[in-house]
Amino acid sequence: MCVFCFMAGMPVQAADFPTKEVQIIIPWAAGGATDLIFRALGATTGKYLGKAVVVVNKPGGAGAVGYTEAMKAPPDGYTLASGITPLTILPHNVKTAFTYKDFEPVINVVSDPGMFLIRSDAPWKSLKEFLDYAKNNPDMITVGNSGAGGGVHLIALAFEKAASVKFNHIPFAGGGPSVTALLGGHVNAVTVSPPEGIEHVKAGKLKIIALFSEKRFEMFPDVPTVKEQGVNFALGQWRGLIAPKGTPPDVIKKLHDAFKKGMDDPVFQKNAKDMAVNLHYLGPEAFGKLMASEHELFGRLIKDMKK
Amino acid sequence: MFESLQHLIAGFGIALTIHNLFYCLIGAIIGTLIGVLPGLGPIAGIALLIPATYNLNAVSAIIMLAGIYYGAMYGGSTTSILLNVPGETASVITCIDGYQMAQKGRAGPALATCAIGSFIAGTIAILGLVFLAPPLAEAALSFGPAEYFSLMVFGFIVLCNVTGTSLVKSLMMAVVGLIIGTIGLDPVSGVARFTFDSMDLLSGIEFVAVAIGLFGIGEVLANVEKPLESLEGKVLVPRLRELYPTLEDLKKSIKPILRGTAVGFGVGLVPGPAPVIATYSSYMIERNVSKHPEEFGKGAIEGVAGPEAANNSACQAAFIPLFVLGIPFAPPTAILLGALLIHGVSPGPMLIGDHPQLFWGVIASMYIGNFILLLLNLPFVPLFANILRIPKKVLLPLVILFCVTGMYTVNNSVVDIWMMLLFGAIGYLLRKLDYEAAPLLLALVLGPKLEVAFRQSLMISHGDFRVFLDRPISMGFLLATLLFLLIPVFRIIVKSTGKGGGFRRSVGGEKV
Repeated sequence: MCVFCFMAGMPVQAADFPTKEVQIIIPWAAGGATDLIFRALGATTGKYLGKAVVVVNKPGGAGAVGYTEAMKAPPDGYTLASGITPLTILPHNVKTAFTYKDFEPVINVVSDPGMFLIRSDAPWKSLKEFLDYAKNNPDMITVGNSGAGGGVHLIALAFEKAASVKFNHIPFAGGGPSVTALLGGHVNAVTVSPPEGIEHVKAGKLKIIALFSEKRFEMFPDVPTVKEQGVNFALGQWRGLIAPKGTPPDVIKKLHDAFKKGMDDPVFQKNAKDMAVNLHYLGPEAFGKLMASEHELFGRLIKDMKK
Repeated sequence: MFESLQHLIAGFGIALTIHNLFYCLIGAIIGTLIGVLPGLGPIAGIALLIPATYNLNAVSAIIMLAGIYYGAMYGGSTTSILLNVPGETASVITCIDGYQMAQKGRAGPALATCAIGSFIAGTIAILGLVFLAPPLAEAALSFGPAEYFSLMVFGFIVLCNVTGTSLVKSLMMAVVGLIIGTIGLDPVSGVARFTFDSMDLLSGIEFVAVAIGLFGIGEVLANVEKPLESLEGKVLVPRLRELYPTLEDLKKSIKPILRGTAVGFGVGLVPGPAPVIATYSSYMIERNVSKHPEEFGKGAIEGVAGPEAANNSACQAAFIPLFVLGIPFAPPTAILLGALLIHGVSPGPMLIGDHPQLFWGVIASMYIGNFILLLLNLPFVPLFANILRIPKKVLLPLVILFCVTGMYTVNNSVVDIWMMLLFGAIGYLLRKLDYEAAPLLLALVLGPKLEVAFRQSLMISHGDFRVFLDRPISMGFLLATLLFLLIPVFRIIVKSTGKGGGFRRSVGGEKV
């Protein structure tokens, strides 16, 4: 059966690709950040590809349902999936039929830094005070995250290691609820990535106590990164496109080129800016390397967490 | 308050331009259609239409998308009443008395009452939105995991026997619902539970599959075993004057609608499964204040009017946290948040100040939208009611087809369809054995949230159970729950001392 599928996929000639619309499987519900970004990118890429780009949501199982389906799709370039950080996390947490190795990298589009937010009226004025308190009171600072084993939870775990402190991690059903809990004073801090909580930072209700990026935010030039303050740590979440394993390289190249043009399109650039996402282009090779190294990193972190 | 009125008038100026009226109308029409189709709910509807708004300005786009959301709430009860198929969580309760009304030839009044109830509730709730939004939003923030847990406990105990039949059987069904709710990824530790390594079970059992299966498919199966003559004959031929509610119907409905509006508005401010708690609570209240509680479950119009109003008012209240805090408390408002971002509006504490034309324009458009929906829905009543003229042997296979396609649109998943059919078979058995599906569905929705809130609270308190008692709101809910459980005991005491009159129809009027 599999051989047959593979054979059926073979006669694809890059010269006439694409002859029909290309679909992107989003393993998350409609309306989330991933969904919105790829719907916007699909809208601008269509004209460069010559055929429409259709987004199909296959939510469920923290992404497992959609990735399993994308993995089984014929590798002919007509079915892609959004490859985002959880793809390299989930296989360490539960038994999945796939890892990142079952896909070909096409392009990375977004990379958002992780960060910790606290209330503006919190007792900690600086990262140093925050970490000193955490050191003296291990397990006492409650840090909300968007879901156990999710991207920002693992970022928080990794930061904990880098800063050699211990937090009390509280999972919520998404980034929104965790920020709400922080606003209501039910947790001391939250681990998020933009645009979550950004508006409350602008309004002065919350502040960024730790920023895990290499560079400062354009929006908040006064907020230093943790690297500048002596903790050698930077980690974020990426969102790119992947194709089922075995998709011919020339088809991948065609897709990559079209999506790259879609990314550079002023309409998409404006959409991305409005959504406060950090565009970060990587070609297939670099994106593949990123997934490999993250897979390894999260494997280690989860092993430690389960100890 | 005066300032709010001035802003509102300016908002009407924005909403009443031809351009925005047009998008409000489009949103209302699409919303109604989406609401009528089971499965395809407001979430999928809004998400699918976001790309269509790329070229609109933010105000028109949000006016249209918000119209889809509350429009879907209007239409949601149609299939519940006609076919016993609840399209979403909010319309489960409407199945109970709405479907019974339709079976008695009163589909028209049931549908019309829904539309009128939704209109009144929507209009009153928007007033609340205008004048009370900021303080209420701040109050909603005081709900942390501990408060949330206690609220869930209260809801669970009080609402579990919503239909007022056997308490033991209701509790049994609730436990089954709790068990089904544990399937999937554990939300706190991320461990897979009861999935047997199946990818399809990782996300748990889809609520809509259980709801449509137990109600819709179960009902079809129960009909199939009836004698052939009853399936071939025309069931009901409603006459024109029976299509709309009588004056007496309206008199009976008005108080339930007002009570439902109040309950829905309060519950809608709390994050989480507001539509379920709002509709169940309203039904519970109506059954308990009614002078003829025995009619409930057999086609009482109050059991349709109250919950439908509650549902709509909860839906409008959900806009408060979205607009004031920039935080969506429910999935449909989360999608709207995404739409705001796409249009360069970042919802947050500064939205009303930064984009007054958007906030007040959208609010004003809601008034207009509610009115459009009433005008749109009432003429449809005869059309929908006439569906029941179709002989059952033709109608029932169509219902199955309708359910299967509707189910697929929820997650684009074939597994969900099988799950729905499986629960259809279970629903048939439950019907035969006289078990109610409503408590199971309540537990399926509340159970996972209850568990998460419980574990979050204890993680925050390092395992100290006093966290539930130290906080006043949480303590209040727990005391109320205790009081409710003790009512039957009080009643026994009162009865045994020979003064049994006063407690006869108190809140806990169940036959235990």
